[in-house]
Amino acid sequence: MNGSKLKRFLKKNLGGWLIMLPSILLFIFFIWGPLLSNISLSFFESIGYDRGAFTGFENYREVFADPVFSKAFFNTLKYTFWSLLLGFGIPIILALLLSELVHAKGFFRSAIYFPNIIPGLATILLWTFLFDPSQGGVLNAILDIFNLGPFPWLNDPDLAIPLIVLTMTWKGAGATTLIYLASLQNVSDVYYEAARIDGASLWQRIRHVTLPHLIPTVKTLFILQIIMVFQVFYEPLVMTDGGPNNASISLLQLIYRYAFQQGNAAKAAALGVLVALMLFALTFAYLKITNRGKKTS
Amino acid sequence: MKRLLKKTQGLIVQFDYHKTRFKLLYIGILIFLSLALVVTIFPPVWLILSSFKSAREIYQVPFTLWPDSLDFSKVSDVWNMLDFSKYYVNSIIVTLGAVLTSIVFNGLLAYAISIIKPAGYKIVFALVMASLMIPPILNMGTLFNYIVKLNMINSLLPLALLFGANPFYFILFKTYFDSLPEALFEAARIDGANRLQVFTMIVLPLSKPILAVVSIFTLTAAWSDFLLPFLVLQSDSKQTVMVKIYQLYNDMGTSMGFGPDSLLMVIAFSIVPPVILFFIFQRHITSTVATTGIRE
Repeated sequence: MNGSKLKRFLKKNLGGWLIMLPSILLFIFFIWGPLLSNISLSFFESIGYDRGAFTGFENYREVFADPVFSKAFFNTLKYTFWSLLLGFGIPIILALLLSELVHAKGFFRSAIYFPNIIPGLATILLWTFLFDPSQGGVLNAILDIFNLGPFPWLNDPDLAIPLIVLTMTWKGAGATTLIYLASLQNVSDVYYEAARIDGASLWQRIRHVTLPHLIPTVKTLFILQIIMVFQVFYEPLVMTDGGPNNASISLLQLIYRYAFQQGNAAKAAALGVLVALMLFALTFAYLKITNRGKKTS
Repeated sequence: MKRLLKKTQGLIVQFDYHKTRFKLLYIGILIFLSLALVVTIFPPVWLILSSFKSAREIYQVPFTLWPDSLDFSKVSDVWNMLDFSKYYVNSIIVTLGAVLTSIVFNGLLAYAISIIKPAGYKIVFALVMASLMIPPILNMGTLFNYIVKLNMINSLLPLALLFGANPFYFILFKTYFDSLPEALFEAARIDGANRLQVFTMIVLPLSKPILAVVSIFTLTAAWSDFLLPFLVLQSDSKQTVMVKIYQLYNDMGTSMGFGPDSLLMVIAFSIVPPVILFFIFQRHITSTVATTGIRE
């Protein structure tokens, strides 16, 4: 490249790169840098948060040998299962009903979305109050009117995860509902009309017109929900501290516990890398599914 | 019911509503949605009303929703006792800073990648998209270490800057900029504007809708942000509302004069700003969530 060509190349591109530079530095500082440092740290022992001696896969061995890790991993699968069971169908049903509404549609739409704007920590503490296990806890006191309970709620190891998922669903379902609602509004009325003229019953219209139209959105949100549930953290941290007896500890919470409560940054780094690999695999699956959806539709 | 007979769009239309069966079904829909409404509205209503109760009244059997007395002096008592203004101010600083960095840095990056396209921009684009998979809290230990190394413990700056590296907001900007007509920028360039002037004088004024959307999302997300502020803000005078609430919750048993009723009131303080924001912008927020799929 001779001088004048180089000059032209710089003139054309330098401005663009200068504009990107501050943003790139922020991405390096907050995302890529910590990720790379984490990968590197995971192969060393840690002194404070810094690297000590190289230890190869020792941190990974320690993570796998930790019974709490397998607990946290299977808990994450439980979170996923319950969130699909409790949280996945509700937004679809709400969206279907909302889209058929003639009266006060905007009001209902806003009200169902409303929990989404309440800060996460406030939501979590609010539901911790509702799930208070004492006789006078809100839900117990309400159920007492019907002569039910009192229930131990979050203190019951079998209930902790489903109740945390319930809290997450309460907060998140409204947003998912709106996404489905938008998708439903894109169904052309021509299809419904054709189906009606053919004498299709309501169920047949849902079965053969509405649901097929929703499938691509359903697939996308299915994977996105799994990816999101894999990152559950605040809820068990605040509501149960992972308990009772680690019955609700999640993977991210275990990273937090290693790094900030047990002071083992290297072990936290190794688990961070493992979770990143899981998220990578899930995202890959997500892209596969959505791309295939695009090609066929 | 007359409006049902005019419904021409959707799954069930006017012809169906001539049948009683469908009219009953519609009433069923209304009842079901009203129940959903109770589920979404009851917890916050309970929170607000119970924050006026005494600690004993909260746990009273049989259950009552309405407090014995609605004593509004309790609001200022709790606020003043905790000197809550300072936490509010800290949260407001972080939130406004977050909105500014979110717009400037995600916006500029999207502008460069969508419109300027300097050589090699595709690599940056791929890396930003890849970072969608990496929630920053996954690497919380090393990120915290960076902040310690830069001597930014107790600083509000990194908490605001965090929102300048957000792949979701970047995508919102990029998708929007992709739809702007290219001829406009070329014309401005011919008129002698430099790249940055094109951004401030042409792109930003054309981008009001997306600016509003990203601002609203950043406002609520930054106001609610908890983990990084909790790790970074260690001295009481620097804490944000969320960090303070978590600390109050953890100390509830031990500190005198601060019972569950006061905690409920503080939680109510924390939800007031987003609720006000929601009432002002609800149409904007609900329509954006529906089209972009991004929640906060």
